[in-house]
Amino acid sequence: MLNELLFKFATWLDGFQSSTNLHESLYAYGWVEGTHVLTLTLFLGMLLVIDLRLLGVAFKELPASTLIERLDKPMMIGFIVMLISGALLYYAIPVRSTQSIWFRIKVVFIIAAGVNAFLIRNMTRSSDMMSWDNDPVPPKRIRVGAALSLGLWVLVVASGRNMAYDWWDCHKEMPYFMYWAAGCVNELAAFE
Amino acid sequence: MDIVFIFEWLDATWLASFAKTYAGLFSMVQAVHILSMVMLCGMLILGDLRMLNVVLTGVPSDIIIANTKKWIYIGLAGIILSGIYESSAIAMKLAHNSFFFAKMAGLAMGVLFIISIRSAIYSRAPEVIGSNGVRTDAVPAWVVKLVACANLFIWFSVAANGRWIGFS
Repeated sequence: MLNELLFKFATWLDGFQSSTNLHESLYAYGWVEGTHVLTLTLFLGMLLVIDLRLLGVAFKELPASTLIERLDKPMMIGFIVMLISGALLYYAIPVRSTQSIWFRIKVVFIIAAGVNAFLIRNMTRSSDMMSWDNDPVPPKRIRVGAALSLGLWVLVVASGRNMAYDWWDCHKEMPYFMYWAAGCVNELAAFE
Repeated sequence: MDIVFIFEWLDATWLASFAKTYAGLFSMVQAVHILSMVMLCGMLILGDLRMLNVVLTGVPSDIIIANTKKWIYIGLAGIILSGIYESSAIAMKLAHNSFFFAKMAGLAMGVLFIISIRSAIYSRAPEVIGSNGVRTDAVPAWVVKLVACANLFIWFSVAANGRWIGFS
């Protein structure tokens, strides 16, 4: 049901001439993808600095709150541009992306990283933070959150990179489960 | 000078045949390459934006630069090692790719710039930028900012040319 809805949505997007134009453009698609990777550097680079501080392995001389508060803006600028360029990349190739197992894994990891970031944000904004703000090594729960944050973003990057490959595209011979997980609507129909 | 023979040699190595055989591993190495770039460029951006007084203003610049140093070298080692592995799989394609040569030129320039000019100038940042207190050997603030802009430009060109290799 959900797979069919997503497929219909992707097919609807694919019907726009601008989607085809962006995909087939010699330069525009490359620039959008380049922007996506470069803003990833800004976003993830700033997040790395914050997470390394929360892990207690770098910038130990600085209060954790200073880094979190003051790197938030450049990090969010990177995130927003990355999100916009990512949406444009999806818009350029909606059907294949919707039916890509790697894209789906990537989205799941992004959501998980978002939830984790929300929890870390709450923990670092609570009054309790004052008790460890200047400590070189923060409490264990903060370190676990920071490690999880880095791990999840590594998986996001790795799954995003794998989207370029067609190993598990719908046109390949795969088990039923893989067709279901990738949302290969037409191939699933052939099983019924 | 014709350097195609270097690519021919790389293409004939065991590393090349290994990289061509295991596509799954190749994609993982590509991810490592991107993540190393994130580490390298993220730390460089932090240091450069600090020197441009865009982020962490008022925080002593010495602390920022000292803390980023180790991660810059780890990132650099990561991109070079993963880059060699990636190059071996498509050596003959790269031998005639202008963006690859532009990236290599930028990378060499970037590494030299970091270990020489950037390092020397940032350690002499004036009080108005560095908040490190008065220095007798301080350089003018505009020189520090010029170095920060130049460094950002060099590494932007390395990343952009690298991305464009895949499209050419």
